[in-house]
Amino acid sequence: MPAEPDGDVLRGFVRGDEGAFERLFRQFERDVFGWILRIVRERAAAEDVLVETFWRVYRGRARFDPNRSFGAWIRRIATNAALDHLRTWKPTREWQTADDGLPAARGSDRDTNDTIARAFRRLPPDLQIVAALALLEEQPYAEIADALGIPEGTVKSRVFRATRALREELVRLGIRP
Amino acid sequence: MNDINDEDWVRRLLQSALPPLNSVTPSRDLWPDVVRRSQRPARWTSVDSSLAAVVLLALLLFPKWFWFLAYHL
Repeated sequence: MPAEPDGDVLRGFVRGDEGAFERLFRQFERDVFGWILRIVRERAAAEDVLVETFWRVYRGRARFDPNRSFGAWIRRIATNAALDHLRTWKPTREWQTADDGLPAARGSDRDTNDTIARAFRRLPPDLQIVAALALLEEQPYAEIADALGIPEGTVKSRVFRATRALREELVRLGIRP
Repeated sequence: MNDINDEDWVRRLLQSALPPLNSVTPSRDLWPDVVRRSQRPARWTSVDSSLAAVVLLALLLFPKWFWFLAYHL
């Protein structure tokens, strides 16, 4: 995350000053977008979630304490918005299998990658988010815990559950260790 | 296979199928979208409707609650 914003900017933002809000947007947009993209993994969806995040930030400005970290606050809001997106995400045609009861064909690397991606997308949102951040992006557990507002031990147990669920699903789809 | 090996195997597979997304930026300036979103009037949701119905019903059944609700709203 970028350096913490100037105190005057934060106080202006809390008062509802649009100029201050735009300065915060310009300062944090890129990092927040990168964080959201790591979770939702689709550019167009990440753009929608970014707009939703800054809308929630604006709506909740009166609750923000300017003495606390704006970066940590917005990351938590972004994580929750991304999680909400995962909860409502519907598989597009490319994610659907012809027959869920049959293992996917493994004719090429692309097929294998599609199968792995499909197994990942089938994880429940609370597991998918930790799998994306911990396994794919290798973010520290403490950072993930802070962004999700849960204890580090809960992150560890969700990574364990996500790993187990993915392993079972991959084996079911014909990919074995 | 133990848990650590499982995690390594799953991690390697995921990273090969879904490569890290570094240095990707939004395709356009999203500030105008944020402004439009923040100026849009709040939507009346089904939760809002249910709450309004409950309050109305409570006031019809117990008119004396009006002052209690007026104090808290």
